[in-house]
Amino acid sequence: MVPASGEGSRGASRAAIAAFLVPALVIYAGFTFYPVLRTFYNSVHLFKGRNVEEFVGARNFLDILTQDPVFWKAVGNTATFTIVGTVADVLGGLLLALCLFTGTSLSRAMRVIWFTPVLMSYVVVGIIWVWLYDYDWGLINVLLRWIGLGTFEQSWLGDPHTALWAVLVTHLWKWLGFNMIVCLAALHALPGEVLGAAELDNCGWLAKLVYIIIPMLWPTLINLLVLSFIGKMMLFDLVWIMTGGGPLWSTETVSTYVYKRAFDWNTFDLGYPSAIAVLWSAMIVLFVALMTRLLRSRDRLEF
Amino acid sequence: MALWLDYLRRAPLVVFLLLYTVITGGPFLWVAAMALRTTPEILDNPYALPIPPHWDKFVEAWTTSRYEIYFFNSLIVVAGAVVLVTLIGAMAAHCLSRYRFRGNRLARMIILSGMILPPQLMILSLFQILLQFGLYNTLAGLTLAYVATQLAMTVYILEGFFAQLPQDLFDAARMDGYSDFEIFWRITLPIGLPAVFTTVVLNFIILWNEFLYAIVLITEDDKRTLPLGIMHFMGSHQLDVGMIATGLMISMSPIIVLYALFSETLIKGMTAGAVR
Repeated sequence: MVPASGEGSRGASRAAIAAFLVPALVIYAGFTFYPVLRTFYNSVHLFKGRNVEEFVGARNFLDILTQDPVFWKAVGNTATFTIVGTVADVLGGLLLALCLFTGTSLSRAMRVIWFTPVLMSYVVVGIIWVWLYDYDWGLINVLLRWIGLGTFEQSWLGDPHTALWAVLVTHLWKWLGFNMIVCLAALHALPGEVLGAAELDNCGWLAKLVYIIIPMLWPTLINLLVLSFIGKMMLFDLVWIMTGGGPLWSTETVSTYVYKRAFDWNTFDLGYPSAIAVLWSAMIVLFVALMTRLLRSRDRLEF
Repeated sequence: MALWLDYLRRAPLVVFLLLYTVITGGPFLWVAAMALRTTPEILDNPYALPIPPHWDKFVEAWTTSRYEIYFFNSLIVVAGAVVLVTLIGAMAAHCLSRYRFRGNRLARMIILSGMILPPQLMILSLFQILLQFGLYNTLAGLTLAYVATQLAMTVYILEGFFAQLPQDLFDAARMDGYSDFEIFWRITLPIGLPAVFTTVVLNFIILWNEFLYAIVLITEDDKRTLPLGIMHFMGSHQLDVGMIATGLMISMSPIIVLYALFSETLIKGMTAGAVR
């Protein structure tokens, strides 16, 4: 059959299209769509032993919101981690990119090394940092003692006041390289004459950053903010590996709490943790939508 | 301006760059050194060079510390999932990018929606479902879950690339009497190889490092993947720092090899979604 008009062989038999798409759709239906539906179903049920479920309506949700102090503690920790971490992540990545952008001959090799932590698993990164934070022989306390600041030595992961921040530093260490590379790519895509003109106007580097670079990179920065936000709101691996949520719930995140309620509490109730997961996912979607709306509406510099 | 003055002005920047390089790269070198030292040596002085190097620790880790089992479990699951997701994803991407048909946009929207769904929304019921079908605590079950987690990203990357291939190629192939499947297998895949390769390496690294799905879907020691195996070993041998370090090196080794060979591809691939 000769295809009509000039658009070429863009058509295919239904059988061929089905054959190409069905495997993907089956996997999606069985391992993504059905589990999501089932999580919603679980969230309004109470599990009483195997295969015995009782419909409880919104009770799980009410219990979570009104009488679960650990949940609110986890929300507080996750919120702190997310807000501070997201800003630090994107700003830090941008500053690192600017350092490399000015270009030394070593820049290329350096960015490869800076990106390495991004590729390593949370298990590797987490264990390395548990050791670096070790009270007796961890590098951080060793360095503090060596420069005579031994009074500041800490059990970094063992003290409820420092544990969350210690995990945050590790998380930043892992992800800064990612943000740096993305900002660097965006910087290289900028028209050179804009930065050159700023140079001629002799404006200081801070003014250049605030008035020229940040506005011009804004679309990229929004992307990074959203990605970093989502990653931190769902933080599980690193906390689980480094502290398990302790000490005294000081690093408990919503995700680690969901896992504990589902598998560590021996209640075999998947309903309650599913309700938390539904609630928290809704929060994430809501905030992402809000962020993109608010941030995108800002005046953008055209070039 | 005199050249030396210029250098002097840039000195703080260069010092900072070198410092940050040490901060990111240093810990890995430290682990590499510890991997070749025995635990008593490390406890005596954690920050020393591996002299003499104990290469036999790798043999010990491999045999007596069960890392061989964990390594092969990881390899089976990750290789299986990567092959499957590449094939299934490429077929879907070829279809979505090449053919016009009713429901194209809908099918694309459905498959790509997998990228924005938080894993927490699926993981608990995935545990239930795999339990029901006898796939809980099996490598096959974990493999299928992994295919599902990586499908959306794979289709996204491949579709973008396949859509740019010139239509003339496909028209010519059809003139020559190629069937739709032959077009996919003998035109799209070979020409799209750079993109296919990127997804293969990316998926391999992401799944090799994966922890959340594995810890929920696997509890038997004989089925543990490397990240779980190391965590388990750490739990029971907290103080055997030397052997844990050797395990970390074993788990990092495939990634180090891939990164050494394809650093630019990897950096581009990992960040492609965020660059705008």
